Amino acid sequence: MRRELGMFSALVAMCFALWLSNSDFLGASNVINTTRQVSMLGIFAIGIAFVIITGGIDLSIGSMVGLTGVIIARLTSTSTGGLGYPLWIGIVTALVVACLFGLIQGLLITRLRLQPFIVTLGGMLLLRGVSQTVVEGGVISMGQSPLLSLASGGLLKLGRDPLIPYPFLIFLSVAALGGYVLHFTVLGRYIYAIGGSRDAAEYSGINVKKVETLTYVISAGSAGIAGICYAAYIGQMSQQVGVAYELYAIAAAVLGGCSLRGGEGTIFGIVIGSAIMRVIDNGINMFQYKYSDADGIRRIWRLDPNWNWIIVGAVILAAVILDQLVHIFQAARAVREAGARKAGIAASSSANAEAAKRAETHAG
Amino acid sequence: MSSASVAEEPLLSMRGITKRFPGVVALQDVQLSLHAGEVLALMGENGAGKSTLMKILGGVTRPDEGEITVAGKAVEFSNVRDAKAQGIALIHQELMLASNLDITSNIFLGNEQRSGSLLRPLDRRRMKAQAEALLARVGLELPVTTLVSRLTAGQQQMVEIAKALSANARILIMDEPTSSLGSGESEQLFKIIHQLRANGIGIIYISHRMGEVMELSDRITVLRDGRYVSDLLRADASHDKIVGLMVGRALSNQYFPQKRELAAPTTRLVVEELELPGAPGAVSFSARKGEILGFAGLIGAGRTELMQAIFGVTPAKAGRMLLSEVRYAPKTPREAIDRGVYLAPEDRKHHGLVLRMSVAENSSLPNVATYARFGWLDRKTERRVADAGVKRLRTKTPSIKQAVGNLSGGNQQKVVLAKWLAMQPQILILDEPTRGIDVGAKAEIYQHMSELAGEGITILMVSSDLEEIMGMSDRVVVMHERRITGVLEGSALTQLAVAGLMTGRAHDVDSMAVAS
Ligand SMILES: Nc1ncnc2c1ncn2[C@@H]1O[C@H](COP(=O)(O)OP(=O)(O)OP(=O)(O)O)[C@@H](O)[C@H]1O
Ligand SMILES: [Mg+2]
Repeated sequence: MRRELGMFSALVAMCFALWLSNSDFLGASNVINTTRQVSMLGIFAIGIAFVIITGGIDLSIGSMVGLTGVIIARLTSTSTGGLGYPLWIGIVTALVVACLFGLIQGLLITRLRLQPFIVTLGGMLLLRGVSQTVVEGGVISMGQSPLLSLASGGLLKLGRDPLIPYPFLIFLSVAALGGYVLHFTVLGRYIYAIGGSRDAAEYSGINVKKVETLTYVISAGSAGIAGICYAAYIGQMSQQVGVAYELYAIAAAVLGGCSLRGGEGTIFGIVIGSAIMRVIDNGINMFQYKYSDADGIRRIWRLDPNWNWIIVGAVILAAVILDQLVHIFQAARAVREAGARKAGIAASSSANAEAAKRAETHAG
Repeated sequence: MSSASVAEEPLLSMRGITKRFPGVVALQDVQLSLHAGEVLALMGENGAGKSTLMKILGGVTRPDEGEITVAGKAVEFSNVRDAKAQGIALIHQELMLASNLDITSNIFLGNEQRSGSLLRPLDRRRMKAQAEALLARVGLELPVTTLVSRLTAGQQQMVEIAKALSANARILIMDEPTSSLGSGESEQLFKIIHQLRANGIGIIYISHRMGEVMELSDRITVLRDGRYVSDLLRADASHDKIVGLMVGRALSNQYFPQKRELAAPTTRLVVEELELPGAPGAVSFSARKGEILGFAGLIGAGRTELMQAIFGVTPAKAGRMLLSEVRYAPKTPREAIDRGVYLAPEDRKHHGLVLRMSVAENSSLPNVATYARFGWLDRKTERRVADAGVKRLRTKTPSIKQAVGNLSGGNQQKVVLAKWLAMQPQILILDEPTRGIDVGAKAEIYQHMSELAGEGITILMVSSDLEEIMGMSDRVVVMHERRITGVLEGSALTQLAVAGLMTGRAHDVDSMAVAS
């Protein structure tokens, strides 16, 4: 929980700083839009966390996000390039394709013992190519599809904006379900055990291959759900949608306390991690510095959009470095405190020995 | 041999050593001294702080307080290199080899023979020649280019010893070196220790096997609960006296429980012509309801492989097994567990435990699904089961929430056992069950095994400790070079007969009942 709480404080601090620089940051429309962005990222970041906690990796989910949107657009759009089927057919087909592809990847990894990195790298390129083929290299507009209201709509109107956008509701449900499975069920326990030691899990009678395969299905399925939201949000699909999203999801998971070695991470952490990633993105647009130049003219300094990736990268590095420093510091302090308590412990342990001795004489 | 050269100045002295971990004081104001040409046995219960003290001496961990002098000079180690520079070599309790490298590379890891800077090519020929000489010295007949991942735990231990010897240390620390060795290999090790002592090397030796300690040591230092208790000359020491100092209370010398009379024997498991991958022949034996069937043999005799086949880890190539007269051919551990066959594996670090998980989570892992309702974890039952396990085996841990990786080696082994003892199997396979476990806890484990057998559970016990094999088994299967060389019971079951069959020496066929 240490990592999670640390990152949560960092998030709050970041939001506060951004609000100081630009009060619009906490304005209704920016908050609602950022929430929507966080939600859509969070949905598949939670999915990939299942894979990461078992010690695997899934690079294909960015492409999967794109492909689901493309499939829906192609099947249901009434504009040029669309086939005009009912919306539900598009959604169901997209989700089935996603889960099936996750299953195939999972089986390749567990049955043929291929490395997750290379299998899902192949998947990433392949799916990207399929998207490109489906849209024939162009763009398919969703037109006036009823799906669009999934992204724009929500509960409780606030002016033109919904106070609680639908993607946020989906995100909450995915997080609740994910948290339930990971932290309260036997399946979750198995996922952590596999990440901690595959062999020990196997020797304990856990069906390691089945559980691992399942995590790839979960990951791909969550990308499918996120893909539907993105299709609704963007309104027109090209092969560009979802490029590099897998890296955002991985970064969110790691910021939130997942270890790429497996065995660690919590849903709460992933949620925080996703929020941090999107707030950084949003912050780069919102950050401003007001000043008066030599002639007394008021000016506003903004970040150069070209710096986007530099800032994202630097913030990720800074966050993990800071976290590690705090960790080292805390460990040292815990040891010092143990030292301060040593008198007490020593006393109680000799008392234990006494009690054991008494029990022994009774038994004998 | 007790002529410890009590030189004016000790080769090594440690004073006032204190080391704390979160929630645990591992060492408090501990002292230790060692002379050149002396074998010092360091004794104490599981979690007494032996390994921690040695890790401090080896530069692996830094003490919070205390001073160390080597040959009269105060030293301070901030890493392993500093300790090596003072001529200190440490053989760890857990195997620490890079399994993807071959034997030679492992022996010289961090100490590579090269001419000049780090980027100069390795002097492979010289390293190979030296490695061959070292292997000959420890009695390991293997090509030096063998990958370490191919070796059994015992063979790896011999490589560790060869590695330590290659350092030409003046202080050699061995933390439970014999826990994964068979008697033959142990003998070889003792020979080496005698040689080294004659050459004036100071040796610190940790073991829970009292016989070895009495045979090897000149002096014994006892720790209890992280404190120094006392020093004994070997001449003044006796089994009971040492145990008394270790546990702070009297403990019966007789720790093997009375053997039970087997009522009309019913066959529980039949293994017929089982062929294991790469083994020279097939093995057949049978095990009865409520019996403890011991498996004796040298390291590499194929006992662990056989058990892994019975547990479905590496399914057999051919052959047939019957469990309670029903065909039994597990392809995964899950299938074995579903039929009531459980295995507590030999290699606790890799197969037995998820080191980062807590004591409670590890204890419940094989079983957690059975007390979960609709997949929902029942943490209360989990805690209860784990608490019972900790109490029963006196596992020393600050709480059941502690990560298993932070426990001492013997206490980790107790968690492995507790994990399987908590269940009600048909057949319980224990592969080196008391490896690294202190005398007190051994007695508890033996008692418990005996009770389980009394309830009708069949126990297959692999052990390299001949005393344990003799003390616990109703019958003994002896293996040599992956073949069964004999099954002994009744009056034919003597230490001499077992030892003879283990080495594949000619034996009196009449005194031996062959497997059905
Ligand atoms: N990294 C660590 N973090 C927390 N506690 C630790 C750590 N390492 C050791 N300990 C604790 O310090 C105590 C001493 O451990 P140590 O390994 O030295 O015991 P030992 O005497 O070698 O026991 P054994 O005979 O079982 O090997 C134990 O209670 C153990 O739980
Ligand atoms: Mg130890």
